[in-house]
Amino acid sequence: MPKCLVCYKWTLDEQDIKIKPEDLSLDSSRAKGKISDFDRNAVEEAALIVEKEGGAVEVLSYGTAAVKLSLKDVLSRGAEKAHWIADPSAENADAAVTANVLAAAIRKLGPYDLILCGEGSSDLFNQQTAPRLAALLGLPCLSFVQKLTVEGSTVTATRKLEDCQETATVSGPVVISVLSEINKPRIPTLKQVLGAAKKPNEEIKIADLGLKPEDLQPKALRQSVKGFVMQRRNVVYKESSAAENVAKLTASLASEGLC
Amino acid sequence: MAGIFIFSEDSALAKQLLTPALELKASLAQPITAITLSESDAEELAKLGADKVVVLTGGTWAEGFAEAIYSQISKAEGSILLVGGTLRGKHVAAYVAAKLNAGMTTDAKALKIANGKLLATRVLYAGLAVCEEEVALPAVATIRARTFLAPAPAPAAGVVETQSAEADSRITISEVIPTGDKGVDITAATKLVAVGRGFRRKEDLKLAEDLAGVLKAELACTRGIAEDEHWLPIERYIGISGQTVKPELYVAAGLSGQVQHMVGCRESKVIVAINTDERAPIFEAADYGIVGDMYEVLPLLTAALRK
Amino acid sequence: MADDKFDAIVVGAGLAGSACAYTLAKAGKNVLLVERGNTAGSKNVSGGRLYTYALELLEPDLYKRAPLQRKIVREQVMLLNERGATTIDYFNPDFGENIPQSYSVIRAVLDEWFAAEVEAQGGMVASGILVDGLIEENGKIVGILTGGEEMRADVVVAADGVNSLLGQKAGLFPDVKSHAVGVGVKETIELPDNLINARFGVTAEEGAARVAIGCTEGISGGAFLYTNKGSISLGIVFNPEQAAKQQRHIQDIFQDFKMHPAIQALIEGGTSVEYGAHLVPEIGYQGIPKQLHREGFLVVGDAAQFGINTGLIIRGMDLAIVSGLAAARAIIASPSTAEMGALYMKQLEELLLVANQRAYQNFHGIFEISRIFGGYPKLANDAMQFMFTVDGKTPTPMVKGLLRAVKKHATFGQMIADGWKAYRSL
Ligand SMILES: Cc1cc2nc3c(=O)[nH]c(=O)nc-3n(C[C@H](O)[C@H](O)[C@H](O)COP(=O)(O)OP(=O)(O)OC[C@H]3O[C@@H](n4cnc5c(N)ncnc54)[C@H](O)[C@@H]3O)c2cc1C
Ligand SMILES: Cc1cc2nc3c(=O)[nH]c(=O)nc-3n(C[C@H](O)[C@H](O)[C@H](O)COP(=O)(O)OP(=O)(O)OC[C@H]3O[C@@H](n4cnc5c(N)ncnc54)[C@H](O)[C@@H]3O)c2cc1C
Ligand SMILES: Nc1ncnc2c1ncn2[C@@H]1O[C@H](COP(=O)(O)O)[C@@H](O)[C@H]1O
Repeated sequence: MPKCLVCYKWTLDEQDIKIKPEDLSLDSSRAKGKISDFDRNAVEEAALIVEKEGGAVEVLSYGTAAVKLSLKDVLSRGAEKAHWIADPSAENADAAVTANVLAAAIRKLGPYDLILCGEGSSDLFNQQTAPRLAALLGLPCLSFVQKLTVEGSTVTATRKLEDCQETATVSGPVVISVLSEINKPRIPTLKQVLGAAKKPNEEIKIADLGLKPEDLQPKALRQSVKGFVMQRRNVVYKESSAAENVAKLTASLASEGLC
Repeated sequence: MAGIFIFSEDSALAKQLLTPALELKASLAQPITAITLSESDAEELAKLGADKVVVLTGGTWAEGFAEAIYSQISKAEGSILLVGGTLRGKHVAAYVAAKLNAGMTTDAKALKIANGKLLATRVLYAGLAVCEEEVALPAVATIRARTFLAPAPAPAAGVVETQSAEADSRITISEVIPTGDKGVDITAATKLVAVGRGFRRKEDLKLAEDLAGVLKAELACTRGIAEDEHWLPIERYIGISGQTVKPELYVAAGLSGQVQHMVGCRESKVIVAINTDERAPIFEAADYGIVGDMYEVLPLLTAALRK
Repeated sequence: MADDKFDAIVVGAGLAGSACAYTLAKAGKNVLLVERGNTAGSKNVSGGRLYTYALELLEPDLYKRAPLQRKIVREQVMLLNERGATTIDYFNPDFGENIPQSYSVIRAVLDEWFAAEVEAQGGMVASGILVDGLIEENGKIVGILTGGEEMRADVVVAADGVNSLLGQKAGLFPDVKSHAVGVGVKETIELPDNLINARFGVTAEEGAARVAIGCTEGISGGAFLYTNKGSISLGIVFNPEQAAKQQRHIQDIFQDFKMHPAIQALIEGGTSVEYGAHLVPEIGYQGIPKQLHREGFLVVGDAAQFGINTGLIIRGMDLAIVSGLAAARAIIASPSTAEMGALYMKQLEELLLVANQRAYQNFHGIFEISRIFGGYPKLANDAMQFMFTVDGKTPTPMVKGLLRAVKKHATFGQMIADGWKAYRSL
């Protein structure tokens, strides 16, 4: 009966982020929060494992004050309890700081049999947190997992890499990062949404984690963030006759020397 | 703190890493050590500019050497580790970075040293934005394949030594199944026809294949086509978590043009879009576009180009 | 227990639903507000001018907490022909000094705020949930169905908008007939505030509301343009049946409207950030279904087809709020579900919603006069062109020139008939 912990991140929905044409700075004033895409797969996978094997799912997130907005959503996805750390340091945290904070919290809350992460976060996509956690916690790590089976303390994972699929087995506890194809995250039902309001959530104060100031000092600092704009011709043919459009397109391609 | 280290389990990528490593050597004046798991790569890395090559033996699973790689670097108090940005490489790099308590930049481009720190450009929000990331030393960076070309041979070859290492024994690899259609390297193609979820059935990809045929292009796709539908092998999907390509022509049919995809093809010379939805973001990213049903447009286009 | 049964379930977190749930929660009722969008307002495209008397009825000064955009102090009516525009501009900085006043609003923001207010009052809000049926027992509605799950309540309030599925499921009204609803398309265009202020002649907190006719190619309907903070909402509302006959895509008509020189000058340099199409109740009083309730079931807002569209003003949001309030009051006051329906109707009367609807009851007739949407705006522009043309040639006598402009677009017989029809409609 595995005790699972899923680390999830509350990120801005990049679809709502606009690039200001004047200076290419990012305008995220309209951006709503979301559970980082692949973390929904991680929560779902833990919920599916526990449905089959018994055990429990807890979730953990480190973010700014906005992280509280995620609780209802994450708890309606199958977790029993949410732990959250809201601290301004999260704003500029790099993967090192994030892993330091999460590892310290896990030491305090744990032990867990399975610690699950997404393959990468939707905003930073560092793809670092799971292996870092494993290093800090002294646990083995199975990254980029597309299929997971848990039997007793044996964890079998199919990992998907550029050129192969690889089956790996480990005797828990283990840190895992999942790919989006591992499952299809549920759309919470009304009862799950209502149930979420009654599930416990607990704040962990960063000061109680016994971290040294340098553990919260990012080693990788993002600078001069600029929206990416493409200079394209943007010629769009939209006559009702497809043949006419195709004729125009082929003429354009010919003028580019492409056909 | 001294020493620039590189590691990649991918032979071609390992060589490419020497190019930025040599540039960093020029500003830091520190020797380059290449760590490899392959005896046959070692000689070549030594010829291409590595001052020292360490061959680690004792296992085949690259990730299992993370601890051993860490101890090589920590013993030498290395200042920079460049790792080939494959998935295995990223796993190793993040593990080593954590053990070194170091910062790490993912998919780094244009690396240089400034103010005693490693400065690299990378993307945020899956490509919506780019930024410079400044990483204090010791620093780790992963670099994707083909970000750099391999360097020319160096005047003097470095030394090669072999060390046995203890690989992570907690994990057992029971089965490795190679995937994909070996032989096609879509990153080398000069023209690509990319397909997305606008295709309703696998058989319909024929429409794109036909177009690719007359254009002498290769097929590429979005993540969903490869990962969810499994209609095309994952080597063919483009984007932040897939391949990066820079062809002369990129024809995007029935794909919406989300930033996670476009980041992988936005350096194409000419982008053409075919989509029913006039408001699809792909049109903003395209040089030429047709608003229309590709089921109608593709056969017409194929026929027109055949002439 | 909250989980098993609620005092009331309100379906749809638009203005009608939130107004109802807010009032119920404030009165201590155990209320559940269900919304299919991922957040309240996420599915809302409607344009934006809210008459705040409605929020005032709900709770004094509530509107001051609401995220409103600009206070409307400038009313403008534009009559368009192909390239020209004749604009009537009414400006009064003190307009609406006291209630009633009106503000431009952005629904995504307003709806989200309102749902949060419901939660703050102790109401339960569940978003991302599509209600797909009703539970009926012994002729009474006793709950909702969603994805195979049941949830029960003493009363279900259908606030699910113009194409009300629940009203149909309850058997109160058949499918929305195409002639009863208009189609609206709306776009939000971001534009710096200094440009908005200069182009519309308003200051930072003030806003302008414009309507335009003559841009729908003779199809009954009109366009609107509201100034927000940092953006402009513009759209067209029109009769889909007539549009279908024209064989013109509404998007195309909308595009043409945006390309009109007088309109383009207003939106130039802006970036489109949102676009959507939606139905609007259009018939007015006569479109309201005979039955708006069953035991355990009340219909409010657009679902009840409450709406006033005079061509110059579109009202739906205020009526949605008022009807939501009426339903809440009825639920609070009723000793049992049996009396709720009658009490709801009484509240609608008392809150003057019915009187408002009735006052405009024949207005729909105006929309049958097609020349209002084509010929007459053209006429006005031709007349203007004639009067302001000075070319040094012998002037055409005023009366003759004007008559020529008139005759181009309508015969006197038509004008008299139209005038009579319009008079009867008002
Ligand atoms: C962290 C993260 C990483 C990701 N990494 C990647 C990545 O590396 N690569 C990647 O591709 N995606 C990636 N994605 C997913 C990405 O966000 C998009 O969801 C995906 O690219 C969309 O795929 P699509 O364009 O095939 O499908 P859709 O977005 O569903 O688009 C289908 C398009 O087809 C059009 N269409 C439908 N029918 C027709 C027709 N008959 N004729 C013409 N057009 C038609 C539709 O209008 C629509 O625009 C990632 C997502 C996340 C969150
Ligand atoms: C283009 C346009 C411009 C307009 N301009 C104005 C204006 O300037 N001033 C004005 O006063 N009015 C205007 N209106 C009319 C006004 O928008 C509506 O009258 C008003 O929104 C009605 O509010 P409502 O709460 O009844 O319905 P809605 O705002 O439509 O809300 C219904 C809610 O129910 C949800 N829902 C629907 N079905 C279900 C279900 N089965 N399960 C769960 N949730 C469901 C929907 O997602 C939605 O959030 C305009 C309308 C349009 C289309
Ligand atoms: N701030 C955070 N709080 C909790 N989990 C996180 C956080 N940041 C990253 N993670 C987890 O680590 C994964 C990989 O993130 P990243 O290394 O940033 O790409 C995410 O998918 C999450 O599961």
